[in-house]
Amino acid sequence: MIECQDIYSSHKSSLNRPILNGISLKINPGESVALLGPNGAGKSSLLKAMVGLVPIEKGEIKVNGRKITPKSLPYVRSQMGMIWQGGGLIPQLSALDNVLCGRLGKMSSWSSLGGFPKGDRQKAQTLLSELGLAWQSQEKVSKLSGGQQQRVAIARALMTSPPILLADEPTSGLDVVVTQQVMAILMALHQGGITLVLVLHDLAMARQYTDRAIILEQGRVIFDGKSDNIEQEYSQLC
Amino acid sequence: MLKNPRNYFFIGLLITIYIWAWQSLKVDLTSLSSSGQYLGVFLGDFFPPNWQVLPQAMEALLETIQMSVIGTTMGAILSLPIAILSAHNLSPVGLRSFGNLLQNTLRSIPSIILALIFVSVIGLGSTAGTFALGIYSIGYLAKFYQEAIESVDANSLQALQVTGASWLQIAQYGILPQILPLSLGYTLYMFEYNIRAASILGVVGAGGIGFELVNYINGFERTKATTFILVMLVVVTVIDLGSSKLRQKLTEL
Repeated sequence: MIECQDIYSSHKSSLNRPILNGISLKINPGESVALLGPNGAGKSSLLKAMVGLVPIEKGEIKVNGRKITPKSLPYVRSQMGMIWQGGGLIPQLSALDNVLCGRLGKMSSWSSLGGFPKGDRQKAQTLLSELGLAWQSQEKVSKLSGGQQQRVAIARALMTSPPILLADEPTSGLDVVVTQQVMAILMALHQGGITLVLVLHDLAMARQYTDRAIILEQGRVIFDGKSDNIEQEYSQLC
Repeated sequence: MLKNPRNYFFIGLLITIYIWAWQSLKVDLTSLSSSGQYLGVFLGDFFPPNWQVLPQAMEALLETIQMSVIGTTMGAILSLPIAILSAHNLSPVGLRSFGNLLQNTLRSIPSIILALIFVSVIGLGSTAGTFALGIYSIGYLAKFYQEAIESVDANSLQALQVTGASWLQIAQYGILPQILPLSLGYTLYMFEYNIRAASILGVVGAGGIGFELVNYINGFERTKATTFILVMLVVVTVIDLGSSKLRQKLTEL
């Protein structure tokens, strides 16, 4: 469960306001939530704040009841996997090594110096196979297609089997067919019990794939409700 | 481009700079044309090459290459921490200005001055030249490495941070693979450059091919100097070809 209680990020002079400007919301276990809104509304920043990458000036974010502080950060991050816009992968490493990087937080710096244990390698290979990349695991990520890269990013986020998955525009730059494939994977994970928080720009996708939509504008929540009718709601609000 | 009146100003400024530089240098084209015959005489002294000194030339050149190998490696190892210190995505402002100051200081000292310093500290010979090359390389390699580090995709590092990776793990799995191809390419380029730089250090007695080269030219044994120059030409060309092929391979990584 993620709870944001009236959170403000630091003041941004180019906007003349904080990027996150008083956001309160609660995301329950097992939900699938779409974060929508125009560019610069604060969607990506909100996602980053949930993993402690955007400092909060006022208010607090709690994950499973624990407030995000430097001390609780390892716990908070162990509860969440994150999929970055564009993947956020290391292009020069193989797909398998990128997936293994998802385990780094569970290992000491010394033990990871010489590589990853066999069990982790097997798990990474299994994840890649499940996502249809069994034969590409030794391939450099820079040589993979956009859709394949996004699946590697999903596999990396799943390496620690987190209960919550955050994704920033997981299908940006992908064609229609690949978009459907990636979303189908995410939906299957949701069916398996994972809580999903997705930043999306496509309203039809929000309606089709998520139960709940939250619309942000200028760093505030202007809509929070079911996503059945989101296209209509959005056109009235934005 | 010429629609913007500001561009006229810059073109005018550029022309003024050229006229100013040319006038101040007092380049005399008439003396240049009459000096052609002296050039002919001077160059005539160099032919034909005296192949008797070929073994010495090979030996001196080998030393030059060895100096470049060790000097470049030394420079590369010392450059890495300075580059990390100077990179804006890894280091706080205070340390950064210190790193940049260090780099600029080293870059502004010519290699021949460094060679003079090391000759007076260590004594004549290739050790002094090797150290001079090592320190000289820092000024450039640190800058190259810094730029490679700064071009690393920030998202990919944050992504590792979110997995809970430590600083060392981020460096090993995030930064190193991304900077390695580019940095190795730059280091190879520096190696090539240092072979050429090392060949001049002999002038001040810091080892390498330059010592004999200058002695033969000044001692009117210029046909021997030609042999040295030819050997140098062949080796530098071969190394350039090899290393540019290798650099091409590296950028494809």
